Amino acid sequence: MLLRFLAAGLLLAGIYAPQAAALDSKKIYQLNENRVFQVRVLNRETGKKSSIGSGFIVGDGSQIATNYHVIGQVILEPDVFYISYIGKDGEEGELKMLGLDVAHDLALLGADKRVGDPIRMSELPPRGAPIFAMGNPLDLGLTIAVGTNGGILNQTDDSRILFSGSLNPGMSGGPTFNDHGEVIGINVATARNDISFIVPSRFLTDLIEHSADGAFDASADLKLEVARQVLAYENRYIDQLLQNEWPDLDLRKFRLPGAVSPTVRCWDNSAKLSAIARYRRFQIRCTNKNHVYLDEDNNFVGKLIYEYFWLESDELNAFQFYNLYENLNKDQIETKMDRDIVSNFNCKTWFVEVSSQELKSNLCRREYVEYQGMSDVLFTAALTAHSDKGFFITLIMTGVDYEATLPLIRRFLEHSEWRP
Amino acid sequence: MAALILEISTRGLHRYQQIDQEITTVGRALDNDIILSDPTVAPYHLKIIRYGDDSLEIVNLTDVNPTRIDHQKPASLVTRDLPVSLEIGRIEARILPRDFAVAATRPLAGRGRRGHLFGHAWWSVILVLACLLVGGLDFYLGSYTSFKWGDLFKIVLRETVLTIGAFVLVLAVLERLLVNRWEIRQLVTTVCLVYLLYYLAANAADGLDYLFSASWPTTLFQFGWFLVVIPVAIALYLVNISHLKPGRSVILALLIASPIAVPAIMQSPALYALLDDFSSTARYHNNLSPFNLHLGQTVTIDAFIAQAQKLEAGEFAD
Repeated sequence: MLLRFLAAGLLLAGIYAPQAAALDSKKIYQLNENRVFQVRVLNRETGKKSSIGSGFIVGDGSQIATNYHVIGQVILEPDVFYISYIGKDGEEGELKMLGLDVAHDLALLGADKRVGDPIRMSELPPRGAPIFAMGNPLDLGLTIAVGTNGGILNQTDDSRILFSGSLNPGMSGGPTFNDHGEVIGINVATARNDISFIVPSRFLTDLIEHSADGAFDASADLKLEVARQVLAYENRYIDQLLQNEWPDLDLRKFRLPGAVSPTVRCWDNSAKLSAIARYRRFQIRCTNKNHVYLDEDNNFVGKLIYEYFWLESDELNAFQFYNLYENLNKDQIETKMDRDIVSNFNCKTWFVEVSSQELKSNLCRREYVEYQGMSDVLFTAALTAHSDKGFFITLIMTGVDYEATLPLIRRFLEHSEWRP
Repeated sequence: MAALILEISTRGLHRYQQIDQEITTVGRALDNDIILSDPTVAPYHLKIIRYGDDSLEIVNLTDVNPTRIDHQKPASLVTRDLPVSLEIGRIEARILPRDFAVAATRPLAGRGRRGHLFGHAWWSVILVLACLLVGGLDFYLGSYTSFKWGDLFKIVLRETVLTIGAFVLVLAVLERLLVNRWEIRQLVTTVCLVYLLYYLAANAADGLDYLFSASWPTTLFQFGWFLVVIPVAIALYLVNISHLKPGRSVILALLIASPIAVPAIMQSPALYALLDDFSSTARYHNNLSPFNLHLGQTVTIDAFIAQAQKLEAGEFAD
């Protein structure tokens, strides 16, 4: 009997063993209000703010983490702007760059002295757990937003956590805490209506580790480093796409690649036709979500967009059909950029045999002015030699290594199958 | 004493006055033998005296805008050599012998020849019908919804008839001003021919674009049509139908064509491609053809990828 009581006591002790007490938002705020700063990009001439974000103490206590997009302007124009921080108590100082992770939108900055105790980092809590985002929204002062963890988003290449809470401009780069006051991620973006995104803290841990090797040279042309990182990320991404099993997508007579990665979503994009239309058209557009912020001018690169278009008619004659087909066979995807950002497209035409069908194919390539080796690639292919059927594919990739895209285009073509 | 002729140059057809008196006076006053009502002509500008030895004397009578004789300004000139050119104020004139040779007669284009396009009004009617047919065909080939005769009628009326009608009207008024004649039938024939040729040439250029996988045929057409074909057609019309001199016809043709050519060229994508060293979008060959005639060989995916590796990026703009 005594043993039974002892066993029951041990069991109860195990179940109700004391754990670290969960903190509420007030406590988290109080613990960290002196460890979260406003990160500012200032004009060297006027001394005034050009853009603001948030940052927090990591590493050895002199390092501040923020988003790459908060300080990206300094990389474009280092002679015009510099970075500084300002704390809740008004203490401020200049920051230098210690490392960048452009693909995950992170930057590690260094002050010339220790600015406080670093905040401990941790892994993501379970889905649905409360999390707390701190930052300086709209330059209104430090605040904390409460929300829940929506989990890692595989459509963003695992580089974003869904935060069901409100992030506002100015909070970018601030920390997101679990209910133990540990940083589980860095605020990065919002889609409004309490749908926001957080960069997992493991990428920041990697950046702090890599920056410790001292290879990063802040005095070099950082646009080269940005281009190198974007291209490395995009090459890995394309390799990953090529290794994936591609699901099939049937569009009338063609079997085509479907969503080639969890990062890609395909939507029906077919236009509603008039009741008196004498043709049928079907359109599917697939786009990825793991875009990479590049700079103010270019915004995001790393886009992969492919669109399939099918046209058929039993009623139009061949001339009518080709009039319509030619009118529709236009670049459906936005590729407009300014002359100071990219070169002209250079395009070439081929007639390519794909699954016993002939496709009039165009491949176009342009390069970025500021970012060496980065290209935008546009591929189109239109079915020929059918008087009542038309099909074309438009595929665009931005901010990529041109050579790396060719195996992907090859696989798209090889995966496409005509089914008579 | 053989009679002489004073040829007075005017816009269009010249005016001829016989000089058969011993003394002929020329001026703006109404008691002259030959009256020139131009304000630059003096009331008594010059007199022409004829002598028995077939010589003549031209005497200037004015200090304002004195008579220029063979580009000189003598007070008087005695001569036997004809023709003599005169400038009376701003009026140009010549004194010619009565037997002065005239240019060969120009035949009326196609007059009396039923097979000739300008020979009979029926050709104008047939060509107008052909234009309506082509306009209707263009509408039919571009209609992808259920066919409506009402739409066809409206479009053909609006586009074909108005286009042809507007050109005929403008050119007819110009012709009236230039040569003081109405040549409506010939104008209708000419405008319809140009309209039909445009349709054929535009489609041929599109077909050639596809054949060569290039855009130069359309570019060539867009520039060539407005800068060459239209002015040449107008010049040929002015020479052969209006019977103007070739030099003047060319200048007039360029002037008449420019209101059509300049806007058309300015709005042409080909001009943008030529003048602007940067395009924010990809210019690729998206044209398609039901005939699928192309000179480019059909290649395998392997060959395409191998060739694609050599594709360079476009040029950076200045």
